[in-house]
Amino acid sequence: MNSMERIQATLAGKPLDRRAVAPVLGLYGARLTNCPLDRYYADPVAYVRGQAAVREMFQPDILYAPLAFASIGAAFGGELVHLDTMPPDLRTPAIQSIQQWNTLMPPDPDSHPQLLYFRDAIRLLAERFGSEVPIVIMVPIPTELPDMVMGLEGWLETVLFNPTAAQRVMDKVIPFYVRLVNGFFAAGASFVVMPCGFASSAIATRKMVSLFTRPVLLNVLAQLNGPVILQSMGAPMLDHLDLLTDVPRVSAFMVDQTDDLARARAVIGPDSVLFGGLDCTNIGRMTAAQVEEQSRAILEDRRQDPRFVLGTSGPDVAWHTPPENIHALRSAVDFFGKVTA
Amino acid sequence: MDIQALLIERIHRGDRSGAHALLDAWAAEYGYEHIPAEVLDPMLIQLGNEWSTSETFTLAQMYVAAKVTEDVLDKVSHLFKVPGEGKPPKGPVVIGNSEDDFHALGRHLVGTFLRAEGWDVHDLGNDVPAGRFVDMAQEVGARVIGVSAMMLTTALHIKKVREEIDRRGLTGLIQLAVGGSVFNVCPGLAEEVGADGTVANALKAAELFVRLGEQSVRKETGA
Repeated sequence: MNSMERIQATLAGKPLDRRAVAPVLGLYGARLTNCPLDRYYADPVAYVRGQAAVREMFQPDILYAPLAFASIGAAFGGELVHLDTMPPDLRTPAIQSIQQWNTLMPPDPDSHPQLLYFRDAIRLLAERFGSEVPIVIMVPIPTELPDMVMGLEGWLETVLFNPTAAQRVMDKVIPFYVRLVNGFFAAGASFVVMPCGFASSAIATRKMVSLFTRPVLLNVLAQLNGPVILQSMGAPMLDHLDLLTDVPRVSAFMVDQTDDLARARAVIGPDSVLFGGLDCTNIGRMTAAQVEEQSRAILEDRRQDPRFVLGTSGPDVAWHTPPENIHALRSAVDFFGKVTA
Repeated sequence: MDIQALLIERIHRGDRSGAHALLDAWAAEYGYEHIPAEVLDPMLIQLGNEWSTSETFTLAQMYVAAKVTEDVLDKVSHLFKVPGEGKPPKGPVVIGNSEDDFHALGRHLVGTFLRAEGWDVHDLGNDVPAGRFVDMAQEVGARVIGVSAMMLTTALHIKKVREEIDRRGLTGLIQLAVGGSVFNVCPGLAEEVGADGTVANALKAAELFVRLGEQSVRKETGA
């Protein structure tokens, strides 16, 4: 099986030659190719070169397009800062107050250079690898996108204390978001992974998820042209997972390392794919033997689960992670061998 | 139900205006000057105990608690000469986000809760170089520096603050507190960056700063 066949078989709950392994190695490609990050996160060719190195070295079953949420904020007018060993961040958001949304025009996904960078990276990845491995991009759920435009504090304040204004913001964000994400599908993305901070039980109350996040997801995801994976982004999501299981287009859930996988499976039912694994930050702070041992424990727990993928929890695997720790994920999977349906 | 319990219920619901109404009604009977000691402090202690682990609260609830606290401080600020609602001032402290870190929310929450407990907070903002933390601590006479970081890479920059404190011969005299979500995810990280202490959430920061301040005094006096 190649990676595409393996992921498709996992979606269908069919037998596998081995369990799929999908750590988030977007950033890691820059390390492997010794590429300065200001170039890596601006030049799609440099990014694809990095992912080619990732694919050659680790053979992951998913290749990730650039994970650089701050660049979306920069496309709205925020000031980007490039860092030495992390994706870029926002030094200052585009706007500071809710009133500024009234005059703010979202960037054009078809022409803004920072947004075309993502699309071009997907297209080039799909041209080169799309027949053998799914190409995936992470985009925060629509209710979280304003965080990239005005900062978390301002957005949280709006959602909590000014729901009418929050809804007005979403009215402006949603058409942009749908165009952006459908553009990614058109360029060749197999899935879009959506980190769900505003659905996490560490960040949002159940009331916020029920009355704000969930209705927006029901509306927006129904307008998308491809499958979606909801992701925890390094914060627990199990307590609110039941509010997300009937959202359209969602074919998989990537839960947090702290979420109980058996409980997560019980909540999402047997037909969706479940991703789980070690935290992307901690994986670099362990020994390879520890990574393999803890990954084996996860796989043992999921031995009878045909729709489970060993991933990593959170955003990118940290820059300083030794390569042998990433190889240890594959070793753990190989230890268990075939997966029967 | 007592006023603290009612306030906490409003905070859980994210009902800031409801909390205002409760405080105004209580103050009409007892006076605003008594709110800090008789309402705010016990409420923050109760919340801190209730939210002792990250599983028991949400960031949204913590934010509402901070906003209610800020509202109280605003309401009573004209009644007292110094921040901290008329309590004995606890002294100056310096806080900021580590070098390359631009995630201010946690730091803002810590600043609010420290002010509520009577600390004179000098907030240096985001992306603060190590030397700047120590310069400011020496300038204002702070016994505690608090550094916030969200990501592993930016947390590791805190080592430079540790080195700067030690290089200037201030080990123990200036205590280093650290916080941020990455410290909850990575066991042992606080020790690795050379922190003198950390806590799991912003509400617990005041308690930590008191303890570290006392450690600094003991170092200075040799007690």
